[in-house]
Amino acid sequence: MTDLPLAAFLGLSAVLLGIGIFGILTRRNFILLLIAIEVAMNSAILNFVVFGAYWGAVPGYGLEGPAVAVVLVGLAATEVAVGLAIVLALNRLRGSINVAEATALKL
Amino acid sequence: MSGPLSALFPWAFVVPLAPALAFVIIGLFGRRMQRLEWGGWIAVGGAFVAMLVGVLIAVGEMLTPGTYTDRSISWLTLPGNGTGTFPHGFSLVMGTLVDPLSAIMLIVVTVVGFLVMLFSIGYMHRDQGLPRYYAELSLFLASMLGLVLADNLLQFFLFWELVGVCSYFLIGFYYAKPSAASAAKEAFLVTRIGDVLFLLGIFIYFQQFATSGPGAGWAASGFLFVSHGAPFLAGVPIANSTLFTIAGLMMLGGAAGKSAQFPLDVWLPDAMEGPTTVSALIHAATMVAAGVYLLAVVSVFIGFTATDQLVIVAIGGFTTFWAASMALVHRDIKRVIAYSTVSQLGYMVLAVGAGFTMVGLYHLFTHAFFKALLFLAAGSVIHAVETQDLFKMGGLRKTMRITSIGFLIGALSLSGIPPFAGFFSKDDVLASVYQAAQSHPAYWPFLILAYATVFMTAYYIFRAWFLAFSGDHPRDPTLPHAHEAPWTMTVPIVILSALAIVAGLLAFVPQFGGLFRAGAGFLPTPGVPPTYTTSTLLLSGLSVGLGLTGIATAYVLWGNGRVFTLADNSAVQPIRRLLLERYYVKAGVDWFGLRVAYTVSRFLAFVDEYIIDGTVHGFEHLFSELSTRLRRVQSGVVLDYAAYVVVGLAIFLVFLYLVVPAFPALGGG
Repeated sequence: MTDLPLAAFLGLSAVLLGIGIFGILTRRNFILLLIAIEVAMNSAILNFVVFGAYWGAVPGYGLEGPAVAVVLVGLAATEVAVGLAIVLALNRLRGSINVAEATALKL
Repeated sequence: MSGPLSALFPWAFVVPLAPALAFVIIGLFGRRMQRLEWGGWIAVGGAFVAMLVGVLIAVGEMLTPGTYTDRSISWLTLPGNGTGTFPHGFSLVMGTLVDPLSAIMLIVVTVVGFLVMLFSIGYMHRDQGLPRYYAELSLFLASMLGLVLADNLLQFFLFWELVGVCSYFLIGFYYAKPSAASAAKEAFLVTRIGDVLFLLGIFIYFQQFATSGPGAGWAASGFLFVSHGAPFLAGVPIANSTLFTIAGLMMLGGAAGKSAQFPLDVWLPDAMEGPTTVSALIHAATMVAAGVYLLAVVSVFIGFTATDQLVIVAIGGFTTFWAASMALVHRDIKRVIAYSTVSQLGYMVLAVGAGFTMVGLYHLFTHAFFKALLFLAAGSVIHAVETQDLFKMGGLRKTMRITSIGFLIGALSLSGIPPFAGFFSKDDVLASVYQAAQSHPAYWPFLILAYATVFMTAYYIFRAWFLAFSGDHPRDPTLPHAHEAPWTMTVPIVILSALAIVAGLLAFVPQFGGLFRAGAGFLPTPGVPPTYTTSTLLLSGLSVGLGLTGIATAYVLWGNGRVFTLADNSAVQPIRRLLLERYYVKAGVDWFGLRVAYTVSRFLAFVDEYIIDGTVHGFEHLFSELSTRLRRVQSGVVLDYAAYVVVGLAIFLVFLYLVVPAFPALGGG
């Protein structure tokens, strides 16, 4: 690890999460919403990498942190693929990708 | 000589079975039996079979005096193990018992029942709903016969209840008429008070006889009525135990309900709303006799304590006077006879209470015939003139000869004029109470009341006879022209007239009298029929004298079409009004019902409706309201759900890091 303290990385992660959540709560455009979700998710992945590095020096711990981070990157890509498929379907169905108009979940 | 007829004893179950079968047949097919008078003739047939077998059994019992023939089926037998509630075991049985008591009752119930059925054919001809009438009447007869032949206390109670419900049906036969419907309800509810007491009494016996003391293990035999030579309580010190006294009073309560004794007597006069035939059957000869029969059975098999006896004598003696006084002033011919029934039942209760069970049954026996006669004659009159108001009738002697003579014979019998039936039995009642009063001075006031009643009885019944039959013409000229009834109505009247003359004398026939004396073995004192001594002759003279005076008074006031009117300012007017208002008991009951019972009921209804139901409905309303509001949360917009997740997360974090550390008790440690 470098000179930067652990708190700095965790702070960055928290800021990313905050930006992501802010985006999730405020964006109406489905694509921007997906981007916000990705941002929030990346804050979690960052945490795995940071803690992986932090604990990597301690004997008895391996590469679990970076390994999970790689899996999560794959998961995030999958999720975006599904999300974009929904965007296409929604656009075809309603001619709009405004999530506030898609209220079919309501009973 | 005894052989062939006593072979019939085990077949006694046929007696209630015949009318029960008639009930089933009429109940199912009565509507299609127009040519059989809508089942009427089947009912007559059932009653006839019952009468034939019943009377033959009674004759068989006369020829083998004092025998007890029991035939029972055991439903349930639990062996005892020496401990627990029933150390000697317990069983439930159902069966028939032929003994002197039931033989007497068999004659009364079957003969009167048959004659009333026959009378109904003519009397009810114009009515609607005849299948129902004949079915109910048959069921009633069957239940009464089942009660009479019952060989154990529980079966007795079972039929007792059946009799009660049948009387409810029959009194309310004209159910469309509000007064009849309410009279039926009244009869049912008032007798129900007695039924509940009776049941409580059975419970006490249940518990007492299950364990120790006299008759221990009676429960093991299923409370079977068997002759032990003496009542369980006779001469045993435990006889004065409080529980047995209470049980005896409960039995009296049951009897008072069915036999219309004070203070449960209000229902019987109102029960005259039913057809007159029903009045004759239920309220003269059979149902009301059930109460007296219960007292007789209990006194013979279980026994009453001395306190019980005094209370029974008091109730009987007082009712005699109480009911007769009300009969003095009423205008409705059926009501007069109804009060006289209550009054005469008082005599029977009086005799049973004084320890002369068989004397009580003797009066029951004769009374059944002359009272049924009076009712049927009254029915014949009502049938002819279509009114029950004595003051509208008059002069019917000329057009309705048979009826008027029948009524006269019944009246003479009721008044206790020799040699009519009522004379012997009433005289026996008075003589036996007189004898009991020698050793129990507390009986004296009730004996005096009973003697006063003799005068009143003769007066009111002859007032009714003079008003209806004497004079030249009806007082109300609009009455339909009277004519004598058809043969189905006159024949029963003639037969009952004959019985009302000879029923008393019958007791002098050794075999027949033996039926009453057969019970002597287990009775405190031998009874019936008159064992005349100088003192009893004097007593007879007194009662006959009082009866004749009563008739003479009635003649002076009401004879030859006279109508005696009391001056408005007369000092007796308040008494007359008191009697007409039935001592305000009825008004008091109504007041109690309307004010007290109704208020309490309304309060309870309030509690039920607003507090109990209110709580339930409140919760229902709360959640329904809550869910209506909460469902707005489900907007369907994904962004909202995301916001809820975030808010929830925030609350969770606040709770975890701020609230939990502040309160260690929450487990944050």
